[in-house]
Amino acid sequence: MPISKALLTTLEQKRRAAYAAGGEEKLAERRKKGLLTARDRLTALFEANTFMEWGLHAQHDCHNFGMEGKSMPGDGVITGVGYVDGRPVAAFSQDFTVGGGALGRIHSKKICDIMDYAQKAGIPLIGINDSGGARIQEGDDSLSGYGQVFFRNVELSGLVPQISIIAGPCAGGAAYSPALTDFLIMTRKNANMFICGPEVIKAATGQTATMEEIGSASANASVSGNVHFIAEDDTQALQIARRLLSFLPPNNVVDPPHRPTPAVDMSPDPAINDLIPSDPKAPFDVHDIIARLVDGGDFLEVHRDFARNIVVGFGRVQGIAAGFVANNPAQKAGTLDIDSSDKAARFIRFCNVFNLPIVTLVDVPGFLPGVAQERGGIIRHGAKMLFAYAASTVPKLTFILRKAYGGAYLAMCSRDMGADAVYAWPTAEIAVMGAEGAVKILFKREISSASDPKAKEKELAAEYREKFASPYEAASKGMITDVIEPAQTRAILSMALRNTLSKRETRPPKKHGNIPL
Amino acid sequence: MKRLKVTVDGKAYDVNVEVIDEIPGAGAPISAPPAPVASVPAAAPAPIAAPVAAAAPKTQAPGAGDVTSPLAGKLVSLEVTVGQDVQEGARVATVEAMKMNTYIYAPKAGKIASVQVNPGEAVDEGSVILRIA
Repeated sequence: MPISKALLTTLEQKRRAAYAAGGEEKLAERRKKGLLTARDRLTALFEANTFMEWGLHAQHDCHNFGMEGKSMPGDGVITGVGYVDGRPVAAFSQDFTVGGGALGRIHSKKICDIMDYAQKAGIPLIGINDSGGARIQEGDDSLSGYGQVFFRNVELSGLVPQISIIAGPCAGGAAYSPALTDFLIMTRKNANMFICGPEVIKAATGQTATMEEIGSASANASVSGNVHFIAEDDTQALQIARRLLSFLPPNNVVDPPHRPTPAVDMSPDPAINDLIPSDPKAPFDVHDIIARLVDGGDFLEVHRDFARNIVVGFGRVQGIAAGFVANNPAQKAGTLDIDSSDKAARFIRFCNVFNLPIVTLVDVPGFLPGVAQERGGIIRHGAKMLFAYAASTVPKLTFILRKAYGGAYLAMCSRDMGADAVYAWPTAEIAVMGAEGAVKILFKREISSASDPKAKEKELAAEYREKFASPYEAASKGMITDVIEPAQTRAILSMALRNTLSKRETRPPKKHGNIPL
Repeated sequence: MKRLKVTVDGKAYDVNVEVIDEIPGAGAPISAPPAPVASVPAAAPAPIAAPVAAAAPKTQAPGAGDVTSPLAGKLVSLEVTVGQDVQEGARVATVEAMKMNTYIYAPKAGKIASVQVNPGEAVDEGSVILRIA
């Protein structure tokens, strides 16, 4: 006897009611604004017909303040698992058309359930945030819900990649869930992220600020560094998420999706020789170098608009996925400062925890001098780079392009800080400090007692430079694996990456180190 | 307690000496209990005036059209003169810092309204080099 038709009809009706979300009117209004609906976003994220929904029939259980009997389809959030590039990914998408996407008890339970599943299955989690915040009617249940999500964000951290998309309002405590994840993508329009908005700031401090200054995508991406990517719209945000996933393993015990070419092409790339200015003082844009090292010039830059004196991102080299960290001499002379140290240290730790080899390109004249830097704690922040590199056990390959001065060089993964191999271009200068400063200290008396102190200083500086302004002194002591022609860089990087992929380095177990935060 | 034999002017005395240190719980405390270790309260450092607070015109808060130095250093050259038209993104100045030249580009198109710093002079981070009207 077949299943009763009425039962199937009921199921179909219930599904339709849930798919209707906040009603056709509200959905149409969003589409008119050029926004995708919560469900559209998941459809755009996943391959066709792969999304399996969790908790379609969920409803709130709140009886306060007129909530009784009020229907909230899916309780304002759509959760489930779908496929991206043939690999499963867990996701949740808050539905602004249902009660403003506000987070209540069941809403947060649905998010927690899918997070727990992502952890157990060892698959990445993508969270699409578009919510008015806490569901006030549910009071402390709502607060508790946030706490449970935060706790899981931390539990998942380092186990599976977590990507957040900020595609609407994300204010107050709600901002801390994305903040605990690995990457934040924010849409340029329609999205805001802040803890205290302009009104609260005004009331509490009297300061006037615009939303553009504190909560916009551009402020979050370029000034505070809270956000890693800006997307022009919802569709692009989802594209960025998919592109990110293409470099990442599903979890921390699996290798990233390397696609090694059958044979390593060792042919030189003479064009890279032309990118280096003959004047050591002249800047160049390190993006141009990276573009010649990665396959097809395809480099996914992370944190592009923040601390631009360092460049970080993902690329493949003859198929091997890797993270790149590079000083950019075209910005702030390529110095390390507070923001660039924070940016790079976080990226290095991400690569380490998800088994991505780290390629470091060095052209650093030092830490940025200045009162603001010292008082802002450049010691504490710069130490994060040293810590992050030394604590990383993934393959680490360092290329010294030009300047490698002082502590800043150590912070760029020298041999001593655990690099598996260090290659230097003939233009490399490895020194504890610049020649002029060094001779002033070393030969203070000789210079002051000379008949022409200026000339003496110049002469001594030239001598010092000759000794240290080349890679050979360091290479003679084994600090450099080899000195290479720039044109050979891609070939050697390709080979070195393959050599080190089998690297295993175990250290004594501990809960975790104490990185200077 | 120690028993000692002391000779004074050739005459021997048998003396009992009580060593206070040796009697547990008696006498004055050996030393004051160690003060709880705490970091010395920081003498509140005088807040350093932000560069914008200085009255010098070179360090006024930058406005739209102001071209500022991204880091402290020395202005080595100006690529433009007052009155000249510039395109957005054109190189307008070079600052030397940390043994490197940093090129400064026009943030917008316009006419060079004024130049605040001469080549050879020092610039602070964020200080205005020139203004584009």
